Amino acid sequence: MKIKNFIMQIVNRVKSIKDRIKKYFDKPRTKLVWKRNISNFLMKLLRTVLLFGLCFVILFPIIQQISMALRAPEDTNNPAVIWVPENWSLMNLKISIIVLDFWKALLNTFKISAISMILQITSTALAGYVFSRLRFRGSNILFAMVMITIITPPQALSLAQYLYFRDISLIGKESSIYLMSGLGMGIRSGIFIYIFRQFFRGLPKELEESAQLDGASVFRTFWNIMLPNARGALVTVGLFAFVWQWNDAYYVAIFDVSTEAFPLLTMQLVNVAENVYTALFYTGGIDLIGQNVWENPLFLVLISNVSALLMMLPLLIMYLFVQKQFVESIERTGIVG
Amino acid sequence: MSSTANKTIQIKKSKALKGYKREKMIWAVIFLLPWAIGFLLFFLIPFLRSLYYSFYTLEPTPDGIITTWNGIGNYLYALNQHVSGNTSFRVELVNTSLDAIINIPVLLIFSLFIAVMLNMKFKGRAIVRAIFFIPVILNSAAVTSALGGGEAIAAILEEQGVSQIFDLEFYLLQMGAMPWLVTFIVGLIDRIYVILSMAGVPILLFLASIQSVPKHLYEAAKIEGATGYESFWLITLPNVSPHIVTVTVYALVDTFLTSSVSTLISDELGKPNRWGESAAMAWIYVSIIILILLVLAVFAKAFKIGGSHYEN
Repeated sequence: MKIKNFIMQIVNRVKSIKDRIKKYFDKPRTKLVWKRNISNFLMKLLRTVLLFGLCFVILFPIIQQISMALRAPEDTNNPAVIWVPENWSLMNLKISIIVLDFWKALLNTFKISAISMILQITSTALAGYVFSRLRFRGSNILFAMVMITIITPPQALSLAQYLYFRDISLIGKESSIYLMSGLGMGIRSGIFIYIFRQFFRGLPKELEESAQLDGASVFRTFWNIMLPNARGALVTVGLFAFVWQWNDAYYVAIFDVSTEAFPLLTMQLVNVAENVYTALFYTGGIDLIGQNVWENPLFLVLISNVSALLMMLPLLIMYLFVQKQFVESIERTGIVG
Repeated sequence: MSSTANKTIQIKKSKALKGYKREKMIWAVIFLLPWAIGFLLFFLIPFLRSLYYSFYTLEPTPDGIITTWNGIGNYLYALNQHVSGNTSFRVELVNTSLDAIINIPVLLIFSLFIAVMLNMKFKGRAIVRAIFFIPVILNSAAVTSALGGGEAIAAILEEQGVSQIFDLEFYLLQMGAMPWLVTFIVGLIDRIYVILSMAGVPILLFLASIQSVPKHLYEAAKIEGATGYESFWLITLPNVSPHIVTVTVYALVDTFLTSSVSTLISDELGKPNRWGESAAMAWIYVSIIILILLVLAVFAKAFKIGGSHYEN
C-alpha cells in the first residue's frame, strides 16, 4: 500500500509539474517571449557567423601583409616562413619609411586631405541644401547638371582642365586641388551634393516651418536647425572626402601636385618600385641590408606591400575614432514627441 | 469689421510669405554660387570642349593642335574598329553594362543587410565596423597598383617566373586539403571579396541613413509589439528608401569608373593623336550610363521608391 501511495504521489507530482509547464506555455505572453527569444538567438547566431566570416575575408590579405612586413628582409622568399616570421624585424618598415619619405609625405597628405575635406563639405552642403530646401524655378535643371557631373568620367575632362590650370599657372601647386574642392568640382563632389540633398529632404518639414514661425532667417534655419540634424550626412561626406583625397592618385598626378618639396603618399607609393634603389643609395639605407637581399626581386614586392600598409594605417586609426560619430549622430533629433 | 481685419491679416501674412520666399531665393543664389562658378569653369567648358573634340581629328603639332572635321567618324571608330590587346571597346562596354545590371541589385540587398546588422548592438561592434571600412581604403588606384605590383614589379616577376609570393590555393593544397574543396573555397572568397570591396561605400551610406531614422519611431513600434522583422520592413526600409537611389547611382557610376572601359578611355587619351577618339568613347560611356539611369528612374517611379515620405 505504502509503495502504491508513494507511486501515486510521484505520478501526481509529475502531473502537476506537467500541468504547470503546460499552463506556462499556454499563456499567450510566454509564447510571445519564447518566440522572441528563439528568433533573437537565431539572429545573433546568423549575425555572428556572417560578420565573422566576412571579417575574415577582409582581414585575410591584410594579415598576410602584416606578417610579411614584420619578417626580416633575408627571409623574403624563405619557403619555410608562411605566417609567423622566423626572425622578427622592423627593417622593412624602416626601409619603407625612408623610401616613401613617410613622415613628410604623411604630413602633406594629411594637410591636403583635411583642407580639401572642409572645402568640399562647405561647397557641397550648401548646394545640396539649395537643391532640397531652397528650390526655385529651374533648380531641377541645375540638379540634372549635378547628375551629369556625377556620371561624366574624369578622363573626359582632364585634358581641358589641365590646359585651364596651366593658363592660370596653378600646375604643380596644391591650391589647384583646393580650388576644385572649394568650387564643388573636387573628387566626386556630385555624389556629395546628392547625399546632402537626400539627407536634407528626409528631414521633416515641420522643422523648417517652426523655425520660420519663430522668425528665424533662412540662413539661421540652415545653420542652427538643418545642419545639426544632418550630422549623419556631414560625417559621411567628411569621411569620404578625406579618404578619397588621401587615396587620390589621379588629380594629383594630372595637376602634378606631388613634387620633391611637397611629396604626397599616393604618388610616392605609385613610384615606390622605381624609387627604392635611388632612395636607399641616397640616404645610406642600403647599408641596412645586404646585397643578396636588395638584389632579390621579391624584396621590391615586399617593400611596396609594406608601403601600401603604411599608407592605409593612419586612415584606419583615424576611422576608429570617427566611427563613434556614426553611432551618436542623430540621437538628438529636433522633433521628439 | 471682422472681415476687413481678417483681410488685412491675410494680406500681412501673404506679404510675410512673399518676403520669406524672396529671402529664400536670395540665399539660394548665395549658397549655389560656389558650385555654379566651379561648374561653369571646371566642368561645362571642358565638357563642351570634349564634345567638340569628339567630332574632330586632333593632331598636336609644335604650333598647337590642328583639328580637322571628322563627323561621327570617331564614334564609328570607337564602336566598330577599336581593338586593344584581345578586347575592344565595344566588348568591354557590353560586358560592363551587363555586370552593372546584374551586380547592383545584389550589391544593394547585401549592403543594406550588412548595414542593418552593423547597426545592431553587440560586443565588438566598433572593431567590426572598422574592419568593414577597410575595403573603402583599399579600393584606391595607388594601393591596388602597389599590391598588384606596379608595372616595374610585374615585369621583374615575369622575368623570374614567380607569380605570387602568397598563394592561398598553394598553401591549402600543401596542407593536404582536397583539390575540389580548395577551388571552391578560393573561388568563393574571391567572389565575396569582389562584392565586399564594392560594398564598402554603400554600407556606410546605408549605415548613416539608418541612423538618421528618428529613434522614437522604433520605440513606438516596440510598445505596440512589433517584431524586429516588422519594424525593419515598416520603419527602416521606407526611411532608407531615398538613399537607395543614391547608392544605386553611386554603385552604377563606380562600376563604370573602375571598369576596363574607363581604362581604355585613359589609354586612348595617352596616345597624342587619338584625343578625338578618346573623347568620343567618353561620350558613348556617358550616354550609356544616362540610359541605364533613365531606365532605373522609370522603375523607381513605377515602384514608388525614393520619394521622401515626409513630403507627401
